[in-house]
Amino acid sequence: MERRQDIVLGLIFMGLGAAAAWMATSYTGASGIYPMVLSIILALLGATVVLKAVRAGTTSERKLVDGPAQMLVTIVLGIVYVALIVPLGFYPASFLLMLALPIALGYRRGLYALIVAAVFMGIIYLVFSLLLEKPLPRGALPSLVGLGG
Amino acid sequence: MEFYTQALSKVLTVWPIVAMIGATLLGVFIGALPGLNPVMAIALLLPLTYSMDPLVALAMVSGIYNGSMYGGAIPAILLRIPGTPASIATTFDGFPMADKGEAAKALKIACWSSAVGGIASAIALMTVGPLLARVTLFFGPAEYFWIAIFGMASVGVMVGSDPAKGVMAAVLGLLIGTIGIDNLSGQARYTFDQTWLLGGLDLIVVLVGLYALPPVLQLAEKCDLKGLSAAQLKLTNVPFKPGERRKLIPTWLRSSGIGISVGILPGAGGNIAAFLSYNAAKNASDDPESFGKGNPQGVAAAECGNNADNAASMIPALSLGIPGNVVAALVLSALTIHGLQPGPQLFHQNPVLVGGFMMEMLITSLLIFLLGGAVATRVFAQFQRLPGVLLVPSILILMCVGVYVINGRPVDLWVMLLAGIAGYFLEKLNVPLAPIILGMILGPMAEQSVRRALLISRGDATELLTRPLSAALAIATLLIITWPIVKAMRNKRAGAEI
Repeated sequence: MERRQDIVLGLIFMGLGAAAAWMATSYTGASGIYPMVLSIILALLGATVVLKAVRAGTTSERKLVDGPAQMLVTIVLGIVYVALIVPLGFYPASFLLMLALPIALGYRRGLYALIVAAVFMGIIYLVFSLLLEKPLPRGALPSLVGLGG
Repeated sequence: MEFYTQALSKVLTVWPIVAMIGATLLGVFIGALPGLNPVMAIALLLPLTYSMDPLVALAMVSGIYNGSMYGGAIPAILLRIPGTPASIATTFDGFPMADKGEAAKALKIACWSSAVGGIASAIALMTVGPLLARVTLFFGPAEYFWIAIFGMASVGVMVGSDPAKGVMAAVLGLLIGTIGIDNLSGQARYTFDQTWLLGGLDLIVVLVGLYALPPVLQLAEKCDLKGLSAAQLKLTNVPFKPGERRKLIPTWLRSSGIGISVGILPGAGGNIAAFLSYNAAKNASDDPESFGKGNPQGVAAAECGNNADNAASMIPALSLGIPGNVVAALVLSALTIHGLQPGPQLFHQNPVLVGGFMMEMLITSLLIFLLGGAVATRVFAQFQRLPGVLLVPSILILMCVGVYVINGRPVDLWVMLLAGIAGYFLEKLNVPLAPIILGMILGPMAEQSVRRALLISRGDATELLTRPLSAALAIATLLIITWPIVKAMRNKRAGAEI
């Protein structure tokens, strides 16, 4: 496991270095030399990691993800949340996340989650919108939800 | 000396005091919750302080930093779960003490030791910092280039288990630092024709992603649906016995010294300081067998060591402009946000601000005595009853608000998510994250100094090596990088002989 992971990691960094070096060739004069040198070093270090992994005889167990299902659920809901912040507005989107994510992760005490969500969003509103007066995305339907701040 | 009294008068006004008390409490709270760490908290807080007075902003940073180092001891002692990586060593004797029914006493010792370590460290910062700043007045661009490289090399080599991966992370950070318009020539680099990339990637955006998302994902993976029961958190107050505190004094002195030395070195953090202090206390003890079985000296050594690292880590950051760890890097970016240039000039141009920050590091350490007592600890322990799955969305939301208010650009949220997912996998593959951040900060400085040095010497690259100071720094850098290779070879030879 560990060996294969390190080989892939090294190859990714080699590719990253090579791509960055290739892009740096089009930059004029001194502004191209510095990223060029860095990219080459990055690719070489990637190669070192690959070589080390190939030469390492033993391979120990190392799990990349401990709970793939939970991790994936969190990332997917995180992406959906970020995508919804602008159209829905920050407060409605956040409130939905506060309820949806624990339930998706298997939490079943809905009322408790609702109370925590309400208190937490209340604190956020107090601190960011009232106290610090930071502008947050209002969304297309703030008046309908009544939480648009 | 005079500027310290001036600074003190600025610090002892309403808002900095309120900020220090609030932030120290918040710091204890953050440290006490496993999954939240001080770097993440300070990164989330910084964007909010943009419009505040710099001394108030720095008061919050020092409160969170010092408070969280103590807060990490609470779950370490009660549950054998270190609240922050720096409190791993606290679990060794803290949890056995709690097991014997001495949890309250262990917490009290942790509180006192944290405060003592923090105070010693702040005093070291106040004395060594200004002296070092005076030395750096002799530095030219060549020296700055080497200092930046030296700082990064040592961080890359010391953090994490594989030096090659550490250095690789540092180079990646340097490369990310080149994104945007080049200041010297106006060339746009790695911008992919996106206007939002012209100014480069925002450090805080990347940092929040890298440091906050991986712990959130791990928290989700653990899928804690219950939180702790009230019975697990029962504490009874135990006063110190006469002479008990005096017995801890040698340990406090030793651990403070170790923590301060570790703090000054770039790369080594609070966890290393705590481990070294713990081992030193064990070696110095008449009864080393009792360590790991609930010896109060072990708790005192670990907690004093990790707090003594804090203020000392600001010494290279404030005097050289080279952050040795990510919190120091955040303090530097807080200073630049307020239009101040870190480095030797800082002490001459803004003595009151620098002195004030040092005072705040001292005062927040003192505050641990007052706020970290039994009552506050009991309150904070109760937060462990909150189920982990409810923390997951809360932190995600805080991350998004924190990142959004920096520039008001939704695109930053995507950058943060991407950085966080990358950070999650990099961490799992033993690639340390701190060098990436330091590379992003030091990269522009390193590039500009090397190009300026070459301009001064009219393109003669030997100039980078022939000045005595720059030559010494270059050799030190070389030694740091080759040291793990030499060590590996020696280990191999030793292995072959057996």
